[in-house]
Amino acid sequence: MNTVQTPSSQAEAAAERFALRVTARLSSGTDELPYDITERLRASRMQALAKRKKAVAPARLAAPAVVHAGGGSAALGRGSHDGNSEGGSWWNALVSAVPLLALMAGLVMINIAQDESSVHDVAEVDAALLTDDLPPAAYADPGFVQFLKTSAQAPSR
Amino acid sequence: MATEQELSDFLKSVEKRAFKRSVYHVRNEEAALDIVQDSMLKLAEHYGDKPAAELPMLYQRILSNCTLDWFRRQKTRNALFSSMSDFEGPGEDGMDFDLLEAYSGPEDGERAESAEDLTRRAQIFRSIEAEIAELPPRQREAFLMRYWEEMDVAETAAAMGCSEGSVKTHCFRAIHTLSKALKAKGIEP
Repeated sequence: MNTVQTPSSQAEAAAERFALRVTARLSSGTDELPYDITERLRASRMQALAKRKKAVAPARLAAPAVVHAGGGSAALGRGSHDGNSEGGSWWNALVSAVPLLALMAGLVMINIAQDESSVHDVAEVDAALLTDDLPPAAYADPGFVQFLKTSAQAPSR
Repeated sequence: MATEQELSDFLKSVEKRAFKRSVYHVRNEEAALDIVQDSMLKLAEHYGDKPAAELPMLYQRILSNCTLDWFRRQKTRNALFSSMSDFEGPGEDGMDFDLLEAYSGPEDGERAESAEDLTRRAQIFRSIEAEIAELPPRQREAFLMRYWEEMDVAETAAAMGCSEGSVKTHCFRAIHTLSKALKAKGIEP
């Protein structure tokens, strides 16, 4: 086994040495790039670093920006400018839900009031029927209906 | 998280190699500079807050993607303006530069000797560069990442999005081709 492995590992080591020699040549050649190219690379690097600054800066400003943006709706209650964006957004969500809750409560109250008034009307009619001299069964009598019609027509003549 | 100094040092350490690798790939210095600039910007913008140890891998990935993007854009452009691109000269990196190198300096004896060394070194460098540029793209990428960027097999495989076995095969073939080609030219690196 060893006799088989040794030449291949030797060949691998030799290949690696060759590769490293080649890349060492490349490195030494690359160190002597023309001035304009090294300058442009430097400029690119500076630009990238400047962009990094800008990328970090908005992350720091993000929390106040969110609070400020939410300020419009938070004005209904109280402006939470304590910088706790999570608490602030919770508060904003609650505050923006208040009008919706008020609307729901109003609708429920109107519904209850209408139910009550219709029950009241029905009760009034019932009470009027029951307290009248005429018994309610009379209204189910076809002869009485005929009497009512004729008696209604009689005075108009 | 990498400090600004760390990021700057990292970019400084890779920029020249990144530029050269892009040149081998796209064979155009202007395009290579654009690609390097793009990749640096992307690294700084999106990954500027990553730990310094993660930067090399991220940068290799970004550089590869930027190069691919350039090829895609080029393909579209060539499809649209194929006849126009025929008139664009291919040769900024061709003859002019060679002449300049060859004729710079041999004035007096001592300097002529060092200039001879310099020229020979430059010639070897240029031959190696030419042979590397001739390699198939995947082989070149694997070879340069593995031996020039000094990444290990696993890292190279991750950056190239292939298996470790493929990386080894690519590297082996690249070395074989290079050694054969350089030997044929009588160059011992």
